[in-house]
Amino acid sequence: MIKRIIARLDIKNNFLVKGMHLEGLRILGYPEFFAKKYFEENIDEIIFQDVVASLYKRNQLSSLTNKISKNIFVPITVGGGIRNVNDIKEILVNGADRVSINTAAVKDKKFIKESVKLFGSSTITIIIETLKVGEKYKVYTDSGRTETNIDTFDWIKEVQDMGVGEIILTSINNEGTGKGFDLNLYEKTSKICKISLLAHGGTRNSEDVYKLFINSDIDGVVIASAFHFNYYKELLKKKKISLQGSTNFLIDKNYKNIFFCEIKNLKKYLKLKKINIR
Amino acid sequence: MTKKKPLAGIINISLNNILSIKRALEYVGFNVIIFNEQRNIEKFDLIVLPGVGAYHEAMKKLRDTKLILSIEQALSKNKNFLGICLGMQLLFEKSEEFGSTKGIGFFEGKVENFNKYNVEKQTFIGWNRVKFGTKKILIQKKSEKNDLLNSPFYFVHSFFVNCKDKAIEAGTSSNGKLNFSSVVKKDKVIAFQFHPEKSGKNGLILLKYFVKNL
Repeated sequence: MIKRIIARLDIKNNFLVKGMHLEGLRILGYPEFFAKKYFEENIDEIIFQDVVASLYKRNQLSSLTNKISKNIFVPITVGGGIRNVNDIKEILVNGADRVSINTAAVKDKKFIKESVKLFGSSTITIIIETLKVGEKYKVYTDSGRTETNIDTFDWIKEVQDMGVGEIILTSINNEGTGKGFDLNLYEKTSKICKISLLAHGGTRNSEDVYKLFINSDIDGVVIASAFHFNYYKELLKKKKISLQGSTNFLIDKNYKNIFFCEIKNLKKYLKLKKINIR
Repeated sequence: MTKKKPLAGIINISLNNILSIKRALEYVGFNVIIFNEQRNIEKFDLIVLPGVGAYHEAMKKLRDTKLILSIEQALSKNKNFLGICLGMQLLFEKSEEFGSTKGIGFFEGKVENFNKYNVEKQTFIGWNRVKFGTKKILIQKKSEKNDLLNSPFYFVHSFFVNCKDKAIEAGTSSNGKLNFSSVVKKDKVIAFQFHPEKSGKNGLILLKYFVKNL
């Protein structure tokens, strides 16, 4: 099967933001510009995630979905603070193909089953945020802010049984750090997961993605920082945008947690390594 | 004199994303009208039947809204017609989803579940290659044809079409060991199992042919 390369855009107050371990969010710019650029560079899919919606119990995703999905002719997944069937409907009619749900799935399993029945299993994606503490992997909700006592492996099995089409597994430990994927986590989970499983958290470079694909039977990767920083660097060079927010870290040569990956180069590298990609 | 844009009508039966197909058709040069109930399709240059979701629900909705009459009118009047995903499957005789549901029956054959077969994914979400048939050539320009032949398209499905009349098969794809029809064509009716509106630039090239060939 063809491996999917997916860009994730975290949104807060209509801005593209990025943090580390799902925290310390910095504003990078307007999400629609980044999405358009990624579409032109042949991205396979785009995920938009409102990272504060579920925490503040608000939902403004439908109008944003409508705006950002314009002229993006690849699949779009939108999530953040989805709590009921009406939220899903609003997002789908505004141009999304799938919705992603995390917090509400833990709180209300009936809602997930009902959504699968109404919209089809392939429309419902569950995001699982996992934090490794000692040797255990625990499930978190509200963008990594709220701890549950659920074991990640048990939760994967339960989510599968609800009939959803796909799981995005985020490693909170690695997210935004660029220290590579938690290979052990994805090797183990891909063995128990029969539905589509996507890995998120840790991409620094093309080799990280390659290592993940040869180590485990993962369907795709979700990448944020490495793509965003790369595009931002390009924009800075062209002086296309004035610095806004706290983006000085992007030009600080001594800053360790900054890394760049270009979609084109990533795909070229993976093809060269005989990975089946688009 | 400026040429008038061709008019496409999208038959809306689902709760899901219909905006993307509208935008894609507009992008390649159509004026687009979405309709939720029966209407005369005489003035339309292309009728599109998209869809995601359950077969029986879709058929029920087509009957309840009388949209089925618009579809029948389009098919009998030899209109340009495009089926996408569930829209392709609905054009066949029946589906095995939850027992058996009767379809529109324009194409011979039935819709089956992947789970009875030796497949890699029972619910397929992602990109898959399409082997376009040599007899039923969709794309004439050689350079574009080569591009399309090597390029994957975006699929989302757990059911596939088991096509009875292989003469209508214009493209095939595979899931594990199973080969299935991913493009069918008869007269002016063409249907894709994949989503051209979600298949990147190559999907748009494919849609552009509808404008050119009208």
